[in-house]
Amino acid sequence: MNLLGLGISAFIGRFAYSGYSTIASPNLLRLTFAFVFIAAGFAFLVAGLFAGDYARAIETVGLAAQAIGYFFIAFSHSLKSFDAPAPRNFALLVPMAVTPFLIPGNSIEHLVRSISFILLVYVSIETMASYMQTRKSSTLMIGSGLGLLALAELMAWYSFVYPGSLFYYVAIAIKVTGFGLLFVPFSKFGLASGLGGRLNSKIGSGL
Amino acid sequence: MAAAYRTHVSIIADILATAKQYSYEGYDKGASVTHFIHKANVPHQRLGSMVSLLTQSGLLYEESAKYKISEKGIEFLRAYNEFKGFAEGFGLKV
Repeated sequence: MNLLGLGISAFIGRFAYSGYSTIASPNLLRLTFAFVFIAAGFAFLVAGLFAGDYARAIETVGLAAQAIGYFFIAFSHSLKSFDAPAPRNFALLVPMAVTPFLIPGNSIEHLVRSISFILLVYVSIETMASYMQTRKSSTLMIGSGLGLLALAELMAWYSFVYPGSLFYYVAIAIKVTGFGLLFVPFSKFGLASGLGGRLNSKIGSGL
Repeated sequence: MAAAYRTHVSIIADILATAKQYSYEGYDKGASVTHFIHKANVPHQRLGSMVSLLTQSGLLYEESAKYKISEKGIEFLRAYNEFKGFAEGFGLKV
């Protein structure tokens, strides 16, 4: 299942890169980074299965790489959100943002999963908000996929709380289903197209 | 409600689409600066640098003080429309 996730995320990353190389859009560059990190995370998770004593450490590295990938998607959405004028009572939100949240245990893995969960919930909500405006089925699919990824992180966290239970396998299954939903809209975009060279390196404004 | 903003790439696509409109669809004399200002909705102060950038890049070419879209520009527009759908799937703009 991790290999399937690796393949899907690598393909989406490749598609996003071909978009960036063609039209030099900064958001496509961020999506490229996101899916490259997510694919690398899956690669580490697969490698962790064969790592023996270092399996836990390598798995944590993989989860951290995926959290970085989720961050890049969330970052793109945050730029979009901050483009709109801030509400008058924006300052009231600051105490909520700095309120510390409880992390069960002191494991780095728990921390990474918590961060991934928060980022995915944010990205999923933002994508669903975009769907409410555009009513595009591809946005709904991707928003649902991101929501499933968030649910998978929650399930995986429960597998630490109840070790030996089925939560881990349920989490992996939900995660791959989520990536499957991310992949479905690609049938519309044309799998073989968009792979041309960059037309002009001057167009686009970087990150 | 906040006004919808356009990204740098989407403004370029609007300029190219205007040039395309005046290159092929019965108006084959090319688009003037006034056409870009009105149809692509780009302020004059910003238009000069963008048009010269597009001309240098080979996406537009000048002919009798008017601008026409090149084959490269048409390819750019096609790719833009394709990846616009991809980015909108994630709730983002290209």
